[in-house]
Order: sequence, then C-alpha cells, then structure tokens
Amino acid sequence: MTTTQNLSYATITLTVNGENHSFILGEGSHEVTPSHTLAHTLRERLGLTGTKVSCDDGACGCCTVQMDGKAVNSCLLLTVECEGKEITTIEGLGDPVTGTIDPLQKSFIDHTAFQCGFCTPGIIMSAKSLLTENPAPTRDEVKESLAGNFCRCNSHYHVLDAVMAVARKGGNK
Amino acid sequence: MKTFAHVNAGSVDEVTNLLAQNQGKAKINAGGTDLLGVLKHRILPEYPEMLINIKKITGLNIIEADEEWIRIGALTTLVEIVKSPLIEKTCSLLKEAARSVASPQIRNIATIGGNLCQDTRCWYYRYPDEIGGMIKCFRKGGKTCPAVAGENQYHAIMGAKKCFAVCPSDMAVALTALGAVCTLAGVKGVRTIAVEELYTPLGNVLSPDEMITAIHIPKPAPDAKQTFFKFTLRKPIDFAIVSAASIITIDKGICTDVRIVLGAVAPTPVRALKAEEFLKGKALSEEIADQAALLAMDGAKPLAKNAYKLEIAKTLVKRVVKDSVVTVNSLNDPV
Ligand SMILES: Cc1cc2nc3c(=O)[nH]c(=O)nc-3n(C[C@H](O)[C@H](O)[C@H](O)COP(=O)(O)OP(=O)(O)OC[C@H]3O[C@@H](n4cnc5c(N)ncnc54)[C@H](O)[C@@H]3O)c2cc1C
Ligand code: SF4
Ligand code: FES
Ligand code: FES
Repeated sequence: MTTTQNLSYATITLTVNGENHSFILGEGSHEVTPSHTLAHTLRERLGLTGTKVSCDDGACGCCTVQMDGKAVNSCLLLTVECEGKEITTIEGLGDPVTGTIDPLQKSFIDHTAFQCGFCTPGIIMSAKSLLTENPAPTRDEVKESLAGNFCRCNSHYHVLDAVMAVARKGGNK
Repeated sequence: MKTFAHVNAGSVDEVTNLLAQNQGKAKINAGGTDLLGVLKHRILPEYPEMLINIKKITGLNIIEADEEWIRIGALTTLVEIVKSPLIEKTCSLLKEAARSVASPQIRNIATIGGNLCQDTRCWYYRYPDEIGGMIKCFRKGGKTCPAVAGENQYHAIMGAKKCFAVCPSDMAVALTALGAVCTLAGVKGVRTIAVEELYTPLGNVLSPDEMITAIHIPKPAPDAKQTFFKFTLRKPIDFAIVSAASIITIDKGICTDVRIVLGAVAPTPVRALKAEEFLKGKALSEEIADQAALLAMDGAKPLAKNAYKLEIAKTLVKRVVKDSVVTVNSLNDPV
C-alpha cells in the first residue's frame, strides 16, 4: 500500500510534453496535494496556461489534454493518479525553438475556427486525439469526437472545416 | 477541492478493509468523473477523509466470455465497452447505452462500476455549497424534499416515495434489460446481486465496506433483437429524460421472450412487467405496440411538472416494440 498521506517526501512523476516532472506531495505552496486536479497542476505549477478551465465539472471540454494519447478532461483527474502517465497539452503541439506549429493549429488559423479562442486548445486536443487514432475520419466522426467540447462563440462549423482540411482524404466526404 | 488522504489500493481486499476501517469516511475513486464533482461542490453533509484509488488493481479491467456468461470487470471503461467486438456482437444494446453516456473524454476514463454507483443528479441534491449552502434534503438525511413542490420536470413519474430523484445510470438500464448480475466484494466475502435489485429509493444496496468487482451478463439469444433508446434535450453530454432498453425474441412472427426496461422514470430502472406479459405470445403490430406502451405506464403518478415524461416513455416503448431490427439508434447519433 502506498499512502500519500502525511508523507512530505512522497513524490509523483509524470511526463508533460515529453519532459519528466516530479512533484512533492504535501500542503506547501509549491507542493501538490492529493486533491489537486491535473488542470490545476498544469496551470498553477507548470505555468501551462494553454489548458483552460471553464466549468471545472467535465461538461465543457476546455481543459482537454491527452493522457497516453487519449483525450481526457484534466479537471476530472487527480494529479496524484497521473503518476507515470504521458500528458500532452496544447503547448506540446508546437516547437518553441523553431516556432513551428501543428498542421491542425495552422488549419484553425487558416479557417478562423474560433472567436474568443477560450475553447480552442481543448477542441484542438480532442481533434488531435481523433486524428492520431483515425487519420481519415468522416465529418460525422469528427462531430462525434468533438461532442465533449463546447464553444460559446459558435465556431463549430469553422472547426469542422478546419479539422476536415487536415484529415487525410480517404474517400471521405 | 478540500483535501483528503489518498491511497492507491493494490487489491480488492485492501479496498474492502480500508472501507471497513474508515467506517464510511473513505470513498472509492474509479474514473472520478462523478465523484470529483460531488467533492468539488461539497454537496454531501460529510466530506470523505480518504480517497481510495482502485485503478491500479489488476484484473478488474477485462471483457471476456465463456459458453454462458459475458464478464465485464468493474474497472472497464465505457470506451472499452463501446469498442469491444465481443460486446458489439453479443450485447449491442449495452454498446449503444455506453456510447450515449456523456462525452468522448469522459468515456475514456469513466468506468462501468462507477457508472452503476454514481450519485443522483437531482438539482436540489447537487446544489453547490459555494453558492448559498448545500441543500439537506430527504436523501441526505434531511426532513423534506424540495423537488415535490418545486422544479420537478426531470424527476420520477413512478415508483418514488419521499425522494423523487431518478437513477441517472444508463448502464443500469441496459444491464437490467440484459438480466445482468454483479459481484460485490466486502470484508465478509463475496455475493452476487441482480443489477435490477441494486438500487433502493435512497441509494443502492452496497454495504459501506463493499465494492462492485464485476458484472456478469447471461449470453443473450443470438437472434434476440436488442434496442436502446435515450431521449435527451441535447445530443451529447446529457442525461436521459427517459430511456428504454429492450431485448425481444420473435419466432415466426410471434414474440416469445421480451424484457423492456425504462430509465430515468423512477429511482431505479423499471421493468415494464405488465407490458412484457402482454407482449408474450403475440404477433407484434402497431396496435399491440400502443397497448404495450399504455401498460408500461401502469401505476405512473407524475408530479406537477413532469407529466410530459409519460408521453416520451410511451413513445419509446412503442418504438422498441416496433423496432424489430438491431439498428444504430438515430436518437443517439451525434449532432
Ligand atoms: C458532464 C457529465 C455528463 C455525464 N453524462 C452521463 C450520462 O449521460 N449517462 C450516465 O450514465 N452517466 C453520465 N455521467 C455520470 C458518470 O460520471 C459517468 O457515467 C461514469 O461512468 C462514472 O464512472 P467513474 O468511474 O468516473 O465513477 P467515479 O466518479 O469514480 O465513482 C462514482 C461513484 O461510484 C463509487 N464507485 C466507483 N467504482 C465503484 C465500484 N467498483 N464499487 C463500488 N463503488 C464504486 C465511487 O465511490 C463514487 O461514489 C456524466 C458525468 C458528467 C460529469
Ligand atoms: S428528489 Fe430526492 S435528491 Fe432531490 S431534493 Fe428530493 S429528496 Fe433530495
Ligand atoms: S473545465 Fe474541464 S470540462 Fe469544463
Ligand atoms: S471561440 Fe469562444 S468559446 Fe469557442
């Protein structure tokens, strides 16, 4: 049994955007408590504010990141339970050195697939997970994969066009 | 979120012992998609002192079958159920029900055990503590149910006393139609109980030291027609207003076996027993479907604002009777 209770020296390690990060578990200002969500840790400990928190309840998808390649709501995961997991956030799609961005991100810009942009990182992470699993989705499959992402600015139609533009053409409409 | 001690359990025994030792002050965390919301908004009078992560227990994440049974481990995620060729082939209604739950992100982590044990969605019960104080209604040991005279459009239309919240679990409806049983492990040992008997008006039958470890589905007859319909206000991320699951065997045009279960109409999934009895031995037709729908509503007593659910429930029963082909349900299709 591994108790994370009252063990100020207990640490957890997870990989975020290819880098290992270890956190000390505890109540201190730079520590991670068992009740911290992954969204909180990404934003407040790692400064990765591309991941947004809106509902904090699993209903909007703004906090979507990839965990071992799958889209998940980071507001519904405890950081302590992400030990050993590989997390990718929106920041992980670009290359800060060369300034290049993912074709999917480029397509969102080209299609103006957002207004305020608050939902965009989450939508892109959901779409990225779909395209990794299924590089040639149909429009309906894109819709289904984005069913957990809510956009208050109604960018949905542009989003569909942006995702379809980078989807590999495989006899799809 | 207020903090708690956190334990990664390595075995079922460890979980049941911790549950017993902590006497109701420890909670199981599976996918956490329901529990974390409950904790964030402090909707319960008691806040757990410990969370027990059960995701590291091996052997609870499986889908397998023998001659007679299909076994699904409690930690199996909803996406695994949706994608399982075995489930698709044998229990298409369970696949449809799983596919109708929440969103892709939630289905990626939500477990079938957690789905069955999720807390009610009654909006008085869920009223967040941070915006005016949690509501201590009947279900939380209080003395009244504000839903009775209040906003009860999504509440029970039958089978409720004192608490009118409906069972929110889509898996429970599907598994009841399939006649599934689940294994409960506790400090005193293991027992099995039908999913149909899992729920009580104020919760479920699990003792404080028990957890669900597996679900067992008797293999449905290969020629039985399976259907799951879920009526929601919007297509993705929504709980059922009413749902219906059915498994119907038709031999030479005559209905020989039938189970019809309604969801979100009562505190438990409800078998439409009178409709089932009526349908057996009949040739299914439009009129027969209409009569079965009326019988399914026998004993219904809607509240002031939810009589409309009767019409939806009747329509769904009619549809499952008429829908003699296993089809991908258009109500569940994405936007
Ligand atoms: C936005 C949103 C939409 C949703 N929509 C739907 C929907 O349409 N249909 C639907 O059915 N549900 C819906 N849900 C509810 C629910 O979160 C999921 O369906 C999910 O399956 C719960 O599983 P989990 O593993 O995350 O449970 P958890 O949150 O981990 O657990 C839920 C409860 O069950 C207990 N528990 C967990 N596993 C076990 C076990 N093996 N034995 C005993 N107790 C256990 C926990 O202690 C907790 O009290 C929705 C949730 C959200 C946030
Ligand atoms: S319906 Fe049940 S859960 Fe909702 S307010 Fe009434 S007693 Fe509470
Ligand atoms: S912030 Fe996580 S789903 Fe809305
Ligand atoms: S662009 Fe504003 S919420 Fe989607």
